[in-house]
Amino acid sequence: MAETTESEQVQVRFTTQQQQYAITESAIFVPANFKRYGLSGIVNHLLGNDKPIPFDFLINGELLRTSLSQYLVANNVSSENVISIEYVESMLPPTPVSAFQHDDWISSVKGQQSSQLFLTGSYDSMVRLWNMSGECVATLEGHADAVKSVAFGAATDNEVVVYSTSLDQTVIAWEYSLVDSSYRVLYQCKGHKGSVEAVAVDQTKKKFATASADATVKVWGVKDPSEEQSIEFLDIKNKKRRKTDSTESHKVKSFCQTLNGHVGPVTSVIFDNKDSNIVYTGGWDHSIRSWDVEQQVNVTTKNCEKVVLDVAQSNQSKMVATGHGDKIIRIWDPRADDAIAVSMSLTGHTNWVSSVSWSPNSEYTLCSGSYDSTVRVWDIRSKGSLFTIQEEDKKDKIYSVHWDGDKILSGGEDKKLNIHQAKI
Amino acid sequence: MRERRATTGFKVAGIATGKSNGAKSSRKEPIKSVNPKQTATKPKKRAAPAQEESDDDLEDFGNVEIDINSDEEDEEIDENDAEESDNEVEEFPEDQSEGEEEDVAADENEDEDEDDDYMAGDSLDEEDWNEEAKISQRPTKLPEIEANYDSDSSTEDVENTVGNVPMEWYDDFPHIGYDIDGKRVLRPAKGDELEKFLSTMDDPDSWRSVSVDKEGKDMVLNDEELDIIRRIQGGDIPDADYNPYEPTVEWFSSKKEVMPLSAAPEPKRRFIPSKWEAKKVMKIVRAIRTGRIVPRKPATEKPRFYNLWGDEDEPREDHIMHIPAPKMKLPEHDESYNPPEEYLPTEQEIKEWKDLDPEDRPKNYLPTKYNSLRQVPAYGRFIQERFERCLDLYLAPRVRKNRLNIDPDSLIPKLPSPKDLQPFPTQQSISYEGHTGRIRCFSLDPVGLYMISGSDDQTVRLWEISTGRCLNTWTFDGVIHSIAWNPNRELCLFAVSVGHGNVTLITPPRIGSPEQISLTDEYIQQGYAAMSTAGSDDKEARNPIPWVKPNAADQEKLGYRVHLSHTQAVKQITWHRKGDYFATVAPDAKNLAVLIHQITKYQTQAPFRKLKGLVQRVMFHPTKPLFFVATQLYVRVYNLMKQELIKTLQSGVKWISSLDVHPGGDNVIVGSYDKRLCWFDLDLSARPYKTLRYHSQAIRQVTFHRRYPLFASASDDGSIQIFHGMVYNDLLQNPLIVPVKILRGHQVVNSLGVLDIEFHPTQPWIVSSGADHSLRLWT
Repeated sequence: MAETTESEQVQVRFTTQQQQYAITESAIFVPANFKRYGLSGIVNHLLGNDKPIPFDFLINGELLRTSLSQYLVANNVSSENVISIEYVESMLPPTPVSAFQHDDWISSVKGQQSSQLFLTGSYDSMVRLWNMSGECVATLEGHADAVKSVAFGAATDNEVVVYSTSLDQTVIAWEYSLVDSSYRVLYQCKGHKGSVEAVAVDQTKKKFATASADATVKVWGVKDPSEEQSIEFLDIKNKKRRKTDSTESHKVKSFCQTLNGHVGPVTSVIFDNKDSNIVYTGGWDHSIRSWDVEQQVNVTTKNCEKVVLDVAQSNQSKMVATGHGDKIIRIWDPRADDAIAVSMSLTGHTNWVSSVSWSPNSEYTLCSGSYDSTVRVWDIRSKGSLFTIQEEDKKDKIYSVHWDGDKILSGGEDKKLNIHQAKI
Repeated sequence: MRERRATTGFKVAGIATGKSNGAKSSRKEPIKSVNPKQTATKPKKRAAPAQEESDDDLEDFGNVEIDINSDEEDEEIDENDAEESDNEVEEFPEDQSEGEEEDVAADENEDEDEDDDYMAGDSLDEEDWNEEAKISQRPTKLPEIEANYDSDSSTEDVENTVGNVPMEWYDDFPHIGYDIDGKRVLRPAKGDELEKFLSTMDDPDSWRSVSVDKEGKDMVLNDEELDIIRRIQGGDIPDADYNPYEPTVEWFSSKKEVMPLSAAPEPKRRFIPSKWEAKKVMKIVRAIRTGRIVPRKPATEKPRFYNLWGDEDEPREDHIMHIPAPKMKLPEHDESYNPPEEYLPTEQEIKEWKDLDPEDRPKNYLPTKYNSLRQVPAYGRFIQERFERCLDLYLAPRVRKNRLNIDPDSLIPKLPSPKDLQPFPTQQSISYEGHTGRIRCFSLDPVGLYMISGSDDQTVRLWEISTGRCLNTWTFDGVIHSIAWNPNRELCLFAVSVGHGNVTLITPPRIGSPEQISLTDEYIQQGYAAMSTAGSDDKEARNPIPWVKPNAADQEKLGYRVHLSHTQAVKQITWHRKGDYFATVAPDAKNLAVLIHQITKYQTQAPFRKLKGLVQRVMFHPTKPLFFVATQLYVRVYNLMKQELIKTLQSGVKWISSLDVHPGGDNVIVGSYDKRLCWFDLDLSARPYKTLRYHSQAIRQVTFHRRYPLFASASDDGSIQIFHGMVYNDLLQNPLIVPVKILRGHQVVNSLGVLDIEFHPTQPWIVSSGADHSLRLWT
């Protein structure tokens, strides 16, 4: 391949961290006009693969999207030196797997690989559980108004706990039995004075946090409310609420830790991946806050100029990605102390970014859903999005995306749970 | 013949000499060289004919000498001279003959005889004869050759008369020609070579003898001829006497010879300065002094070509009444009688042109094509145009106006760049789909999560702002005119005006928190209680309109709280900031046009007994107990506590359409149907601080942002204009108004564009509703 072209050649050294694809580290000459595809061919040739594996190439931590020579010119790198190129197996474009039709707009989607279930919350106030084959295994009825957010809780072999929040200002914990496909309401959490916009469950599955439009974030324990009665009775306000809700038969949980500090509706909440005591929230007051749950203190506040619509943390790199009302995805380092610590901005969406989700397997990859009806897959090492998933002629907003294992789930105004295969 | 010719030749020469010698004395010299004796003896005679001729020809020269102001006396002298010359003319032929004689001196004797005959009658002097003799004796003088045909042959003594034929013709004959008598001339005997040699040896002249073919004899060359040959061979001039380097004769010398024509003394007046001349000179001097004549002025060059369409008229003297004529526009292609095809209007353009009012037409003619200039008809509008021109001159005379020459850019205030004034809404983010009629009104809840909109499709919809989801729909039996959310965050209540005067207070179900719901219920119950406790007669007096409690089902299901029935359609509902009072405007309801309602007491007041003008909008002051009432032309500010008029704002617009009060309370913006937006600073003046006219159609709504320094106007042209309107706490600093953004997107339907706008209470977003059934959020 190299012999046939007479153009400029550069000396490169291929390295990789994926040991199964390791090749010799000696420098070789490649034509400078090679792009990703050509380099991938070389590596495959060196590996002696019959079936070529697509690779992506990184120079100084930046994905190569142009030809080598263009890269060298753009970054002002001398072509005399040996260029060290790291290669990784590239991500294949997401392929649509299936779409599950709903009766109404989908506000939230979640997947759980361990139990092979998908969870959706819909504006018809139903929470639905789907299995991989596209069957709606359960429709959880109980909310009085649109479901805004859903989350999987603790899962055992037989039961799965599911949390859902709704516009009716309540959070309901459901228990779904995998054995007989039945469900029951574990308890209802009351206390929010506005629509509950988001719910998140911590790693240990002992706590869950909810964010509401009343500018509060509440962190709840997963224990049954009957075990907390003593405390509840002390609360006069809760007593009053119990009176009004007496007609309902569910157990009502009202004991929680309330995190006050946001000055506008809180749109999203997540637990830190490692530390269940830390909660990150984002809201309409343009702030991204981290909280100490036990002490109910706002630890840090990072401000940007725009409304925060969703917060997600990578379980690999601990970086936090936020979707904003100004079409931008911002990547933050939560450990940085400064008030403004945006480490990166990803631009490409043409409308609000309603939802972001990190790839569970890669610290560089995330997907985002936007009101411009596209789902985009991003590699933070590269400028611009890697892939754009868009159904033709669709104007439907996407409200939620979730990267579950090797699947990207998205749902929105088109009333479909769209599942795309995305291997990385 | 020949003599005459010679004579004329001389004469010509004589004239030439005479002419060339303006100064008469110098003429002798050249003649001397030819014939020194003759000139020496007869200088007088030679002068005479020259003088005679100079009468005619030499006037130029005479003028050189003679004073310009030649007098009659001078002329007399000239005449005398002429007479003298006349006398001498008689001698002229004699003179001629003399000249001829010397020419032909070398000729044959016969000629001399003839000459003698001719000269017989003349008195010839002895000197002449002597002279002749002298000439004949001159051996060196070669015969003068006249350049005539065969002129030499006549002088030769020729025996053979064959003429000028090649002699080889006679080679075969014994003779070589014929003599003059016709007898043969025999070839002379020729000796052989030896003889020839001997003869050369014998004859001392043989070296200089040349055989002459015609004669067949040898001819001996004399010394002169030999000399000529030698000279020719040497490359010299053959004539030994000819001196090529003679001294130059200055025929035309620069020296001026004074030769007065008359010896008369100069007249006296020649020495007296001329008065007449002095006068003339003085005239010129005076002219020079006054500057009328500029001596030695460089001649200004006049241009050969003039630019007819040049930039400037010839500058005239600066006069205050002089107004240069306006420049005519250059004719264009389409004014041609035969314009190019592309300038010819199409059918549709012709129709459009004809449909236009003559005053609105961009051109008062239609380009027309004629095949030739001959076919162009007479100008039909001539009379009309002359008439209009006369009208122009009569009614609109040109007047000089003093124009200030100001750079227009310098008049534009230095405004900050819109980039620095962010945030403000820039693009459409969410469209709220559902309504099927034009959306006249909408209102955002005080937190900014929900929105209610009322439409001509007789429905009221509740929207979730961040998602665009329609959460609830109420259907009424009338057009929704106005809708307003209670600004009190503790309450969850809005008022909607439906159809012909029905105002309903609604608590949307499931939206408010339990506390909000209970507090709202408390408010309503409180008022109901107050109404029921009040005396029946008292109640009638106090409430101009009835408050009706809706039935229980509606209360439970739809959230209806209270119905108020106005007599006329309520066009506007506005709340007091505390959420207890709200005011309604029903412009057609005469003295009940403006009503202020209190929920907690179920009480309605008509604060104005009589209203001047049609009420358009009312507003509560955000902090003080003031009440703004906008009629068509004025905005009046009332104090509700003291019940008095505080201020009247004169907008200067024709019809106020909308009104909003800055959250600070000291500034008011007013939109009008005549496209203007007026900003009033209440502390400053009752007149607008700024009047903005950026819309091309009527303004429907103006609004302030409650938190950000923004305000916006919505218009029937389908656009929303966002302004940065910063109000400073410093009373000395005037508000800063900067247009920052025009939002376009609403379609204009039936000449209605954007009907209502409202800013989001917390975010820099704006919501707009339009006649195109759309409700949009701009962020």
